[in-house]
Amino acid sequence: MKRISFVLSVLIVFSMLLAACGTPATTEVPTAAPATSEAPTAAPGTTEAPTVAPTTEVAAEETVLPRNETLYFNGQQWGSVVCWNPYSANCNNAMAIAQQDNARIIMFETPYIYNMLDGNVYPLLADGDYAWNADRTEITFKIKAAAKWSDGTPVTADDVAYTWASHIKYQDNVGVGSQDYIADIVATDPQTVVVKAKLGTDGKAINPLIVQAYLSSNYVMQKAWTQTLEARTGGDPTKFMADTAEDVVFSGPYGKYFADDTKVVYVRNDNYWGQDASMWGKLPAPKYLAHIIYKDNAAGTTALQAGEVDISQQFNANVQDLWLKDQLPISTYLPEPPYGIGASLPTAYFNLGSYGLDQLAIRKAIAIAVDYDTIISNAMTNQSATFVQVPRSLMNPTAGEQALYDSSDPSIKALQFAGKDIEGANKILDDADIKDTNGDGNREYNGQELHYVAVAPNGWSDWQAAIEVVAAAGKEIGIDITSNFPEWSVYQTVITNWPIAEGYDIFMMWSDGAGPTQPWGRINHFMNSAYAQTMNNWNGNWGGYMNPAADELINEIPTLTDAAKIKADYTELVKIYLTDIPSFTLMYRPQSFHTVNESVWTGFPNSSDGSNPPVPPLDCTDGYSIACLYNLTLVN
Amino acid sequence: MKQTLQQVFHSGKFIVGFVIFMALLLLVIIYPLFIKDAPLAIIAQGSFFPPGTYVNIYDSINTTDIYTLNLQDAAANRISSKLSNDDREAMKEWLIGDGVPADQIDTSDTASLLDLWEKNYDPQKNIPGMIFAQKRYYQRLNDSVQGILSTEGEILAALNPETGTLEQIGTVNQSDYVNIDQVANVRVLPLGTDNFGRDVLTELVKAIEVSLEIGFVAGIVATLIGLTLGLLSGYIGGWVDDMIMFVTNLFTVIPSFVLLVLISFSIGQEQRGAVTIAIVIGLTSWVWTTRAVRSQVISLRNRDHVNLSKIAGHSIFHIILNDILPYIASYVVMALILQISSAILAEASLSILGLGPKTSVVPTLGLMMNWAMIYQAEILGKWWAYFPVIVAIALITFSMNLMNTGLDQVFNPALRD
Repeated sequence: MKRISFVLSVLIVFSMLLAACGTPATTEVPTAAPATSEAPTAAPGTTEAPTVAPTTEVAAEETVLPRNETLYFNGQQWGSVVCWNPYSANCNNAMAIAQQDNARIIMFETPYIYNMLDGNVYPLLADGDYAWNADRTEITFKIKAAAKWSDGTPVTADDVAYTWASHIKYQDNVGVGSQDYIADIVATDPQTVVVKAKLGTDGKAINPLIVQAYLSSNYVMQKAWTQTLEARTGGDPTKFMADTAEDVVFSGPYGKYFADDTKVVYVRNDNYWGQDASMWGKLPAPKYLAHIIYKDNAAGTTALQAGEVDISQQFNANVQDLWLKDQLPISTYLPEPPYGIGASLPTAYFNLGSYGLDQLAIRKAIAIAVDYDTIISNAMTNQSATFVQVPRSLMNPTAGEQALYDSSDPSIKALQFAGKDIEGANKILDDADIKDTNGDGNREYNGQELHYVAVAPNGWSDWQAAIEVVAAAGKEIGIDITSNFPEWSVYQTVITNWPIAEGYDIFMMWSDGAGPTQPWGRINHFMNSAYAQTMNNWNGNWGGYMNPAADELINEIPTLTDAAKIKADYTELVKIYLTDIPSFTLMYRPQSFHTVNESVWTGFPNSSDGSNPPVPPLDCTDGYSIACLYNLTLVN
Repeated sequence: MKQTLQQVFHSGKFIVGFVIFMALLLLVIIYPLFIKDAPLAIIAQGSFFPPGTYVNIYDSINTTDIYTLNLQDAAANRISSKLSNDDREAMKEWLIGDGVPADQIDTSDTASLLDLWEKNYDPQKNIPGMIFAQKRYYQRLNDSVQGILSTEGEILAALNPETGTLEQIGTVNQSDYVNIDQVANVRVLPLGTDNFGRDVLTELVKAIEVSLEIGFVAGIVATLIGLTLGLLSGYIGGWVDDMIMFVTNLFTVIPSFVLLVLISFSIGQEQRGAVTIAIVIGLTSWVWTTRAVRSQVISLRNRDHVNLSKIAGHSIFHIILNDILPYIASYVVMALILQISSAILAEASLSILGLGPKTSVVPTLGLMMNWAMIYQAEILGKWWAYFPVIVAIALITFSMNLMNTGLDQVFNPALRD
């Protein structure tokens, strides 16, 4: 008996091991869409009352969505949706509410939409281009006559003005962020909006860039609904922003269908105004947009492989294996590395308050010793351009931004390090007399050993792996760098509050991506002294860098209109940044990881789709990439 | 003693476990003597290189010893590596979609197929019903079949520094071979590389060593605590027993893994070295050793020889050390073995949760698993990054459990054959 049980247990152990090692089932992709096309659930509200969500709560068992009418996402929504209130910053409603450079506009809409590929804005709720007045103190634009709310009433200039007034009255994030630059937004007639910039002492707009970016970054909300909300919350700002707003009126093509802690579904408003010839001329193709809430990236990748996700906005390591090895109908925007369009610059900041890091020699030695090729090939699995392909500056790799500084300037070329320069780093340290005097293999500065901790948030795998490579570089140049991965909740509190606690000598943070204020906004956040050494700093310059010469240029650029002067200023800023090295970019990162599976839908944007204007790879939800929803067709 | 050892080595289970364990131990000791690479050195630019022999292309081309082998199937192998049967069928599908009559396409005749392909294929053409991923597939296929029927060699050229032009310096013929032993740089990576581009085998060997260390330290800490408390509480009895059992019961009802997670988390990653983790594991897993030792001691303490020793006026510690401990020594050894194997498992579980030792200092089995999971090795089928680690963990714990069962058979009268 004992023998038998022994043999059995050995067998069980081995069968478990074998099961664990089996290659992931090369999932037969369900290309055949579910047979029935009759929707199991009638769309809430058919003709008279177009999709007013609250009256038609959808029960859980009714949410079996027809696969060939539904576009599935991953990587945007983590955790369950809390509310539908566009004034709130805490709705965790990632698919519907994101007022940003490339605003997410499936439910709420902005007057203009930004296209990161050509750098232009295109009218959405607005009619035609906006116009600055001669002094550049006011912007005037018209509202499209066809634009309607989901309750059928027209979108008016008054709505735009009232939205702004509410941002200011209740001091929400948008109001607080913009009130230093925008004096007022008024409606001169039902179709005409005037945005008045805040003026400096010289009578000029303080920052015209931010004023015009407001038009493509911020939603227009309905005045009538806002008043309903105000009446309900009695003018209390906390209640106003905490309201779940299930009754919200919106102008976009999709509204709430269903949400719980497993998924969130948006349903098309078939009366959407955008089918008017003055806008898209038709409705977006998918009837439903659905986002299953996945536990982690691995779960999301598995779903993408299985064809349960159409558009993936998450980091899939070695994404090319999905089509090269697994032969799945999956593709990215570009066929070759870096697979996407790099837009932001994840960067390692030096804590200038740490011992020795106020010394340029030490900062520069560490920065030029790091092996960036390894970070890009291993941590990012080649989903970033290299620093040989796109030499480092403050610009992202898009052609538009690269053209904004003089990359042929020899003095800049001399400063653009590509990394892994151990010899050069050692020489810089030796020349600065920062040497190993006590023979322990580690350098000292003024007699004190140089020990640094490089940190990234725990679970942010590509950043963690990048920080490991930074730490490895330290060992090569005689500076002890160890890695540490605190939890994000701790991490964010520490780095946003000066002075930064011990153990955060080199830390990673994001940068601005692509947008209408870029690259100015990114540079402002990298280098502006206004943010340096402050508390509760969510803007940037976390390392505490101060340089009045850079500040002057940063403050000047938004007021300039002369392209040559702008380019000269940007070039100078790049020169200052690469000379002082207050932080060093580790990789380029796409605005969205846009990976698509064409099991059900096809017609996603790609580098050779020939679209004009080009549709950017931003998951068909952000800024001009919404155009993608109108280009989709079913595979079968 | 000698007889005991003989007895132990007569147990088949013990021997099997012992041999496996010794093999692992020898691997840990011998491997670093021959392969002196740093276990955490990043050698590969790129992640998850598959296992195999990596031959330096530059050295192969520049080698002076070139051999000509005229092998019959060389050309066929070359073609089939770039153009599989599936690819041929796919080509046919495209050509039919393009309007070429199906009866004109012979997928078995490479030359005519490629001829048709070259004449008709247009990378920008949209075939109705074809999705974009397929279009990209055909573009890749088209690139890969370029010139595969060529019988010419590849020309080697070098940049002339004076004129700035490329000048031919040689040719590589299709029948040229090198002897792998004569290439200056050949690296065998029996288990490929991991997500950081580290040699998995070298890392694994070091990780086994570290995990064994963690296991030993944790096992010894846990056994020492458990043994001491068990002996005291069992022999002295009374309020000492009550006190110790009170504490032990407290720890029994709190799941030790939860305790372990909480302690590891509160220590913070900065302080979490391998030894710290080992001690934490040891501090949370002594409970059942205490209880077991106590019950053994209680059954021993009224034996005649103990009473005799008491009458002889020996001190408590003398009695415990000389009259009690030897009788439970075999049991303690077995407990130690189990503690070691469970400590190794505990480290692995902690590291998979990201609460193990720091990454950059030493590799451990759990950390290797953790990083393989983070980079989705199990989803992408990169088995070499995680499967050998699982096998290593399984072998270590399996061998220890076998030894333990073997010892049990020898020492436990109830189980003796």
